[in-house]
Amino acid sequence: MILTLSRRKKIITAAIAVFAFAILALELYPIFITLLNGFRRDIVILSGQDFNLKQLTLRSYEMVMANKGFIKALFNSMLVALLSTGVSVGVGSMAAYGISRFRFRGRNALAYSFLVFRMLPQMSLVVALYLMFRGIGIRDTIFGITLAHSSFNVPYVIWMLIPFFVAVDKAYEEAAMVDGCNRWMIFRLVFLPLAAPGLVVAAVFAFINSWNEFLYALILTGVNARTAPIAISSMIGGDTLTWGQMCAASTVMLTPVFIFTLAMQKFLIRGVSAGGVKG
Amino acid sequence: MKSSRRQATKPSGVVALQRAGGRGSPVPFLLPALLIVFAVLIFPILFSFVVSLFDWPLSAGGGERSFVGLGNYSELFRDPGFWNSLLLQLGFIFIAIPLELVLGLGAALLLNREFRGGRVIRALMLLPVFFLPVVSGMTWRFMLQPRYGALNNLLVNIGLPEITWLANAGTAYAAIIMQDIWRMWPFVFMLLYAGLAGIPTELLEAAEIDGANFSKRLFKIILPLLYPTILTALLLRIIDALRIFSEVYVMTEGGPGMATTLFSLYTHRIAFGHMKVGLSSAMAIFLLIISIVFAITLVRKNMSLEQLEERGGGQ
Amino acid sequence: MKSKISVFLIVLLLAMSMTVFANGDKETAAPAADAAPAAAQPGPARTINVLLWDDPYPKALQAMLPEFTAATGITVNIEMLQPPQVLTKTAVAVTATSTDYDVVGIDEGNVPVFASLLEPFNNWPAGKFYPKTDPNSVTPKMYSIGTWNGVQLGIPINGNLYVWMTRKDLIENPQYKQQFKAKYGYDLGIPKTFQELLDMGTFFHTNGIASGFGPFNGGPAGVLSEAVFMWESFGTKFIDYVDGTFKVVLNEDRAVEGIEFYKKLMAISPAGAETMAHVERQAAFAADPKGVFSMFIWPAQIAAYENPDTSMVAGKIAYSAPPAGPRGQAAVTGAWALAIPSASKNKDAAAEFIYWWSSKSVADRLVQANTIPARTESLTNPAFTASKPQLPALAASMQVAASRPRFKEIGQVQDVVKNYWIKGITGAMPTRDAIRAIVKETNEILQKAGY
Repeated sequence: MILTLSRRKKIITAAIAVFAFAILALELYPIFITLLNGFRRDIVILSGQDFNLKQLTLRSYEMVMANKGFIKALFNSMLVALLSTGVSVGVGSMAAYGISRFRFRGRNALAYSFLVFRMLPQMSLVVALYLMFRGIGIRDTIFGITLAHSSFNVPYVIWMLIPFFVAVDKAYEEAAMVDGCNRWMIFRLVFLPLAAPGLVVAAVFAFINSWNEFLYALILTGVNARTAPIAISSMIGGDTLTWGQMCAASTVMLTPVFIFTLAMQKFLIRGVSAGGVKG
Repeated sequence: MKSSRRQATKPSGVVALQRAGGRGSPVPFLLPALLIVFAVLIFPILFSFVVSLFDWPLSAGGGERSFVGLGNYSELFRDPGFWNSLLLQLGFIFIAIPLELVLGLGAALLLNREFRGGRVIRALMLLPVFFLPVVSGMTWRFMLQPRYGALNNLLVNIGLPEITWLANAGTAYAAIIMQDIWRMWPFVFMLLYAGLAGIPTELLEAAEIDGANFSKRLFKIILPLLYPTILTALLLRIIDALRIFSEVYVMTEGGPGMATTLFSLYTHRIAFGHMKVGLSSAMAIFLLIISIVFAITLVRKNMSLEQLEERGGGQ
Repeated sequence: MKSKISVFLIVLLLAMSMTVFANGDKETAAPAADAAPAAAQPGPARTINVLLWDDPYPKALQAMLPEFTAATGITVNIEMLQPPQVLTKTAVAVTATSTDYDVVGIDEGNVPVFASLLEPFNNWPAGKFYPKTDPNSVTPKMYSIGTWNGVQLGIPINGNLYVWMTRKDLIENPQYKQQFKAKYGYDLGIPKTFQELLDMGTFFHTNGIASGFGPFNGGPAGVLSEAVFMWESFGTKFIDYVDGTFKVVLNEDRAVEGIEFYKKLMAISPAGAETMAHVERQAAFAADPKGVFSMFIWPAQIAAYENPDTSMVAGKIAYSAPPAGPRGQAAVTGAWALAIPSASKNKDAAAEFIYWWSSKSVADRLVQANTIPARTESLTNPAFTASKPQLPALAASMQVAASRPRFKEIGQVQDVVKNYWIKGITGAMPTRDAIRAIVKETNEILQKAGY
């Protein structure tokens, strides 16, 4: 009975794997096109020619790599995304802990106001931010754009972490309490490790939010702190489109985030298998 | 501070928690987040509110601003373009997000097991989320073209007629929704997968051995346990979908006509096409009020933190 | 007590936002005083910030910058963005009291929008290194795009206006020539009139050789330029400055004729023509042997059509002025002007940069780099026209240049025109109703704006 069950399970798993690969192929098709087009000439892309090996060329990549503005923007993007992820995960996890483990008046109101304020389109905030940043002299600086990105990442992280923190069994806290830990120690020693998968997920998405952010970067940065999405969008151009370079550049942008996630996923699995978090 | 703390009503851990509460205050935990959010989010909102009371041409220098009170709001309510954009935005949310949830949940359930290549699949699945929105919009625009677009080639190959997706109001709207679902359902998947991974496998195996069929396990065990995560996914997706801009902008520029002019696109047009910052700020404040009402009535009643705790951590 | 604190906080923040808001007015007095001494003593090493649109033309200029810096000691930081983003950024970053840029590129349609923030050309300081730009170096019709209310605010810097492209390989094909002549009684060639365009387009379209026309329906500004092109060609202006105010002067019958004709052209256009923007037009004309046979092009983009890397029809394009309509011929302009914000503290250096850019030697080299400066003598120089067939066409187009209406509320008018024009040409609305709706709603906008 048990044997047949496990065999049935194996077959099901195999079927699911095949199915998953099929879905994946479909899902990744647009990205595959982008990847491929980075290695093809614009005219080949535009004329919709069928693929053949002779089309492949590294020219778009050479041009992208020779584009100093883009390389600098890429570096800026990396810096801003990492800084803003660090800040918002640090600050956000503290706030999420404060909200999910303390009971105080206006707790719900506070939690939801984080959410509500993030609902506003950046479009309507950016002019005010610009004036403010110019007023205090942090326009077109890495610090300024990091701060701007943190503003929308912090609420995001808080809300992503609340369910993870809520799910931490209170018995752990009690135990820690009995051992004489104070709130800070509980937060650091109990919550952060237990909610590690949540932290990873939050970090990944905070990173992406910042990495892909467009409008704040457009308005709040200039020559110095320009980030990669702005540099890429100039390849899309208003009038003529350099497909090959756009695809090459976006592939270049996709690579580090993908590596980042792969690395994080390992950590995520470990965090989950360490147990402790229950549904 | 202490006096305002509510009595906890939970059965487990209450005593210890209360004792712990006595040893600390939430303020140090909340303060840094509040500082950042206040500095960079709430100030611009207040500023927008002030601006929304003015007739404020963006480019015309200081002299031409004039106080109009609620004039911008009444102009807004009389503007069919505004209502159109609001309707499109709501439609977008109500169509795209449920589908993303269903897809994400389905995939999370399917992939919540170990098999060869599983890890790679889960990581690759996320690629669209990382894809730069502008490039995603552009790629979709390209794929939807007649003649050389991949999607139309597919349709033609299986014997269907070509569709000029972006040229008709209905199909263009469908296309921007499709693009969003394509890009963002893996995000929902990742959240739900992380949540699902937290459900002890013994619980599920026990139920399976007890003979509980799949739908029973899904509705009796998985969904209730996953509730807080689903809720989070839903909320995060809604706030993102409300702000969607650049991908739609490069895909359709809001066209044809006004068929895909979502809220953000209309705000952009008003602010930077018509140069009426006062009016566009009024739109933002209006959205803020809607969001607050939404949060107070719907969300708070059905999804308060206490309920989260009951469902999630309480058992 | 808690609620008191939050009330206090809100009041504090409101006060803060008010302060920033008030600052905008307070600073008004300051800049004029700042600018004067800065102009008096140009330091040896200076830096100016320049905001430009992103296309091959400013890029070609950027490559020459070191020579400007060497000659003047002025370092130039050029920030290039897509055209709509240039507008957004200018709107935010340039105010009456402060500016992040010393030189801004302004799309001709937006000159009135920013007029009050720009330094009139007459006040620009004389150059130390380069002579002040000579207004006569630019064809008058192009020069006027930098004018608003009789004041010259910027120097037109690129000669961008409708130039017509026709596929040479199609019109020179002997078989097609013969068939066409047999059917229509005259020679296949570059379409010189609308009727010829329609005949030839229909010929190619019905025979499955190529599409007959490539419309431009991308974005509100694009649709307005197509509408103005048709209306001017059918003998009616859209909006005119009459008796000191702006009035809609559109003749309904002629406008209907124009839009009806465009509808006929749409019928011989490729699938998806309703939303064809530059990207799709480029794909249709340059990357598809069965694509479009004849359409207009902004000369700024010609480089992409003549580059074998991005085009299959490089060297196979015949250029001309746009075909003439029954009552007129029009080449719609879409040029950029360089302007100096009044709040700039480096006006002398900014002016120096513009003088250098518009000088003959730079313009000549830019022409050779396949771009299109506005300087007329460089465009008509026989030394260049021999190898660049688009230049004579450009010069011919300039003779019939026509501008889109320009005033502050043009953004709203664009939306109205786009909305109804598209409905009209796609048959979603009778064309006459569409024209009436355009006139009615444009009048409302003008009225509300106080014209």
